[in-house]
Amino acid sequence: MIILERKTEKLNKYKRITNEFFSANDFLPTSLLSLYQWQEIKKQGIKKNFQLAIEINSDESSESIKDSLKKFSMIQLNFKTFKDGRPFTLVKELRIEHKFKGEIRASGHILPDQYVFLLRCGFDTVEIKKEDKEIWIELLNLDNGLYYQP
Amino acid sequence: MYKYSNIDKKIIADRTKQFQNQVERRLNGKLTEEEFKPLRLMNGLYLQLHAYMLRVAIPYGELSSTQLRKLAFIADKFDRGYGHFTTRQNIQFNWPKLPEVPEILDQLSEVEMHAIQTSGNCIRNISSDHLAGLTAEEVEDPRPWCEIIRKWSTFHPEFSFLPRKFKIAVTGCLEDRTALLVHDIGLRLIKKNNVIGFEVFVGGGQGRTPHIAKMIRSFLSKKDLLNYLEAILTTYNQLGRRDNIYKARIKILVNELGVQKFKSLVEKNFVKFSNEKLKLDKNTINDIFNFFKLPKLKYSSNKLPISKNKKFNEWKQQNTLPHKISGYSIVLISLKPPGKPPGDADSRQMQELANISDDFSFGEIRVTHEQNLVLPHVNNTQIYQLWQQLDILKLATPNIGLISDTICCPGMDYCALATARSIPISQKIGNNFKKYFDQKSIGDIKIKISGCINACGHHHVGNIGILGLDRNGEEFYQITLGGSAKEDAAIGQIIGPSFSEKKLISAIRRIIKTYRKNKKNASEDFLSVFRRIGIEAFKKDLYDNTRKKN
Ligand code: SF4
Repeated sequence: MIILERKTEKLNKYKRITNEFFSANDFLPTSLLSLYQWQEIKKQGIKKNFQLAIEINSDESSESIKDSLKKFSMIQLNFKTFKDGRPFTLVKELRIEHKFKGEIRASGHILPDQYVFLLRCGFDTVEIKKEDKEIWIELLNLDNGLYYQP
Repeated sequence: MYKYSNIDKKIIADRTKQFQNQVERRLNGKLTEEEFKPLRLMNGLYLQLHAYMLRVAIPYGELSSTQLRKLAFIADKFDRGYGHFTTRQNIQFNWPKLPEVPEILDQLSEVEMHAIQTSGNCIRNISSDHLAGLTAEEVEDPRPWCEIIRKWSTFHPEFSFLPRKFKIAVTGCLEDRTALLVHDIGLRLIKKNNVIGFEVFVGGGQGRTPHIAKMIRSFLSKKDLLNYLEAILTTYNQLGRRDNIYKARIKILVNELGVQKFKSLVEKNFVKFSNEKLKLDKNTINDIFNFFKLPKLKYSSNKLPISKNKKFNEWKQQNTLPHKISGYSIVLISLKPPGKPPGDADSRQMQELANISDDFSFGEIRVTHEQNLVLPHVNNTQIYQLWQQLDILKLATPNIGLISDTICCPGMDYCALATARSIPISQKIGNNFKKYFDQKSIGDIKIKISGCINACGHHHVGNIGILGLDRNGEEFYQITLGGSAKEDAAIGQIIGPSFSEKKLISAIRRIIKTYRKNKKNASEDFLSVFRRIGIEAFKKDLYDNTRKKN
């Protein structure tokens, strides 16, 4: 998998931490936590004083992170299926309602045909298969910046 | 009529290019059918029983003669010589080939048409009153508002992957010709304290769980329209069910939450996410309204001609309405001649109608949600001549609003989801009630027929609704009575056990007989009688008599 920021491939500095390996002390600024892991370490009390990344699936409720957004440098919204459009609204909530300024990344089952929509809704990056890079860029190139919505 | 700006043109052209790319990727296997499906759906392309079906958008039902000519051309070149007008004021072609679809879209874009968002889980073509801008009692022309919503909803980045499809209708009249209250959102222009704004209804729909929409705002100011629509869609996209396709429409959400709770969530989102840039200022609104001015019509005292020709008189009585400019009439063209599938027009009819509309109606044609066509501005002095031409084309059936003017979905003849045929039922009704005199004596009545519970033929809101079912491989038809799609919207009640195809027509005749027997005076229509005497009286007559015959 690669990370694409508009047309440029970007280094992925985040790593998922495996299930058996997490406690409030066992994560790094480069850790990518699942919602479950985050809830667990939140219960234990977060000891470390740096930001990390979290992944939320499109069918999970994001309520429990909304009061801790300052803890995250990156939020990854993972599409269970590209047909599940909830992340398109969630990203609006994060950006407009909660003023989240960090990186928001789309991952999971997403299509290059959704690229422009993702960017316009407030995503910064996408996680895609390496071999799909060209088509993602090609479809972004078709975009001429003319839209009906502000 | 609305004319594309350069931005519209560019956006449509790009979309066609993008779809070409998608078709190529599908044809060379880079896209699976599962992935291709929502993309093709967003371009109006369905996979039907026998072939692909392309649904072309006719925004708020308005067509120019040039566009109609193009549709005739497409019917000839890419289809089998006809098109089918739908209950969403669109047109469907039933036989396009996948590799040719991009070319069809190219052809359409030449005349400012497309198939965008005519299917898929997005905001669909906005529907409106086919008499918009033509009647004196209208508060305001709804078409400019439809156009404003059309733009906002087209390729909306946030609302293109909703839980389910989403339909919006706008009307400017209290008398409803749009089936407003069975839409996901219904907007009615109203005047309060001399200010025009919208009443907002939400959560109407048909399908397996029909609901009448509920009002969530009794007055919405014009400038806030788009922000309020965004708030409704935001709420729906957040909370609409995605676990069960049959429970995914907004009507289910509104009912599960209760309308008050739903309303309060919408109002909260309205405050949270209101965007200054979405507010509509007077200039923007005026610019759009300028496209919808009436053509230059001259007031006169010319009345409709008096003739000895009986056929003409019947047609004149049934298929014309007074225009708000005196001296002109609105002409309704029935696409329900006896024995033909409702809503079908062949390429010659389309071609000739385009010419006729140039000669008689300033090149304007409209499509009604009841699958008929309208010539909006015909000079009364030319009516007889017009009728002669329509008659030659078999487009002068005098049955608008009568029993043979049925709404009917494609059913088993085309649709992969059907449980029974619907077109033959409509044909039988047409053949059984052929004479104008008979139909006229029955009066205003709406029969609506669906080939399955999805209710594309609006059976729930038919005065008589017919739903095709499959019972161990045999087609059966369930009858509902008392539905209405008008301002007094109601869901029909099931009268009792369903009927085989063979017995259906006599059951309908029996129902009509009960109505006639109970009619208080000549002008009391079917629905009024039904509401007065209730379903039991119909039921008793129907089943007692059917049983006797068995
Ligand atoms: S009502 Fe059923 S049969 Fe008729 S068009 Fe809709 S899905 Fe098909």
